Amino acid sequence: MSNSNVLLSIKDLHASVEEKNILKGLNLEIKPGEVHAIMGPNGAGKSTTGYVLSGRDGYEVNSGSVTLDGEDLLEMDVEERARAGLFLAFQYPVEIPGVSNLEFLKASVDAQREARGQEALTSAEFLKLAKEACKQVNLPVSFLKRGVNEGFSGGEKKRNEIMQMILLQPKVCILDETDSGLDIDAMQVVAEGVNSQRSPERSFIVVTHYQRLLDYIKPDFVHVLADGKIVKSGDASLAKELEEQGYAWLQTEPREDELED
Amino acid sequence: MSEWLQGAIARGQQVQDGFSDQRAASLALLQEIKWPNRKTEAWRYTPLRAVERSSAQIKELSPELEPVSIADLQFLELVFVDGVLVSLPEELPDGLVIEMQESSLFGTIKPERHIFGLVNDVLAADVAVVRVAAGAVIEQPLRISNLMSEGAEGHIRVLVDVAQNAKVTVYEHAESQSGSLTTAYTEFRIGADATLEHYRFALQSGNQVSIGGSHFCLLERAQLNSTIIGFGSDLQRLDTDIIHRGEKADAKLNAIYLLDGQELFDLHANVEHEVPNCTTEENVRGIAADRSRAVFNGRIHIHRDAQKTLAELNNRNLLMSDKAEINTKPELEIYADDVRCAHGATVAEIDKKALYYLRSRGLTKGQAQVMLNFGFINELIDQMPNPTLAEWVRPIIRERFAQMEVK
Repeated sequence: MSNSNVLLSIKDLHASVEEKNILKGLNLEIKPGEVHAIMGPNGAGKSTTGYVLSGRDGYEVNSGSVTLDGEDLLEMDVEERARAGLFLAFQYPVEIPGVSNLEFLKASVDAQREARGQEALTSAEFLKLAKEACKQVNLPVSFLKRGVNEGFSGGEKKRNEIMQMILLQPKVCILDETDSGLDIDAMQVVAEGVNSQRSPERSFIVVTHYQRLLDYIKPDFVHVLADGKIVKSGDASLAKELEEQGYAWLQTEPREDELED
Repeated sequence: MSEWLQGAIARGQQVQDGFSDQRAASLALLQEIKWPNRKTEAWRYTPLRAVERSSAQIKELSPELEPVSIADLQFLELVFVDGVLVSLPEELPDGLVIEMQESSLFGTIKPERHIFGLVNDVLAADVAVVRVAAGAVIEQPLRISNLMSEGAEGHIRVLVDVAQNAKVTVYEHAESQSGSLTTAYTEFRIGADATLEHYRFALQSGNQVSIGGSHFCLLERAQLNSTIIGFGSDLQRLDTDIIHRGEKADAKLNAIYLLDGQELFDLHANVEHEVPNCTTEENVRGIAADRSRAVFNGRIHIHRDAQKTLAELNNRNLLMSDKAEINTKPELEIYADDVRCAHGATVAEIDKKALYYLRSRGLTKGQAQVMLNFGFINELIDQMPNPTLAEWVRPIIRERFAQMEVK
């Protein structure tokens, strides 16, 4: 596969948290416009993948490489990765009382625009964009004035994440169990938000424990992550298969699956 | 006794001027005093090594220095360079007098327990006396600048007498170059129904030693509003004393410290409620990064007769590194039974998860820090009665804070 066509390339990535090895040779290549789903049992390293890629403190990369658009991602600070176009929608978005959502969003968008060499938006221009984004994820505009995620319900927090994604226009979006804790209606809103952002240039990694989100966000590829590496890859039908079989088969025939990988 | 203090006493014996009686009394006290060490409560967390090792010297010839200019603010300027009064306002508004002659105010408001206050009694070369006449409202703020050149030693003393019903703003400003050592004490008497708006900023850091005090005595219905801002240095110590001597006096003190590197900042705030019906509100907030150390001692002493006192003291701190240190000590001594007195101190760590969240959206560490924690400092800046001064100092503080690292 030629590298020039790859947006995100993860090669033999080994990473640990508090001296515990979590990722044990993760390989993944994502081309522009693709949607990859990563599924797997609890403890497989799904959330760790998002944190390692985003550069969270305490997530140690021991070996391997990651490039975004040909640039060494692992060399970058957290904010540089974001400015380079990486976006992680958190499973548990952080509540930050005292910092207004609007102020935070404006500063984030300013940072993105600066990184792309664009002029900063005026407050009025930004407010217009932010209001549109609110509408798109079905959040009342009044949420812009509240503290970041402060007192938001689980679903509101997830929608706030998607709103940020819409405003920041990243190249690679990692959705970390964005469906967890959502009812069907809320999940549909989130999925519509995500689908509206699909484009030939933008790629997605949808991390999920359950298949149902993938009914709404149709993946091009489905990967099964177990014990820190991808043990099986396929198309959308693999998700259905997993839904029926569960993950129990992983314990019984891991070696064969490794060979397939 | 330390060599440094012996040297100070020897030099003090040479000083002859109109203040000689008071100077002699302080000299006698100094000769008896024990040089503070680790067991001296008032200096427990603030070692005096930086003073003992200082090679700062009284200069024969000081460079010409000028205080930083602040856009949109025209001060009545009183400038000391290396302890010598070098410039006075050319024209004074009606009701304001500045003189350099004997004053009975000298040493009466500053408590005797301050060892460096006694040193200052003995060594302050030029004592400036500022008098605001009864009923005078001085619109233009007065700035007292204590400028220290590299390696210089200097001691400044200012007495401010605000007569009854008068109103004045005094800004004590310090700029010290490296290796300097200064003591700077100010005594304020705020007369009946008079108002003092006060600021004391020391916005540089490095290997200077700076020790000083602002001491206030409030008479009936006097009002004090004071804002103190300090960055640390090798040794930065400030003592404030607020003495309520007339009923229904009201004092408000906001203090901020932002420390980095190996800096030390020590604020000892003492409030004496001697009489009934007075109020005090003190908000002290600080952030310590790297290996810096903050010391805050907040004492409120409510005397037996001081019924119906209302006193609140709050100290909030934020630690930005595992190695930074905050030593905060509330001290309440209450001898009256009908008072309302509240006292609180907190030390928190920066929220690393929130910091990561903000950075993951492209904000720099500095931006994220400012956004997360500048608020509680900013709140005190917002309360400064002089908006122009607030707008000048806000970005300086913001930048300082953005540079401090989370470790």
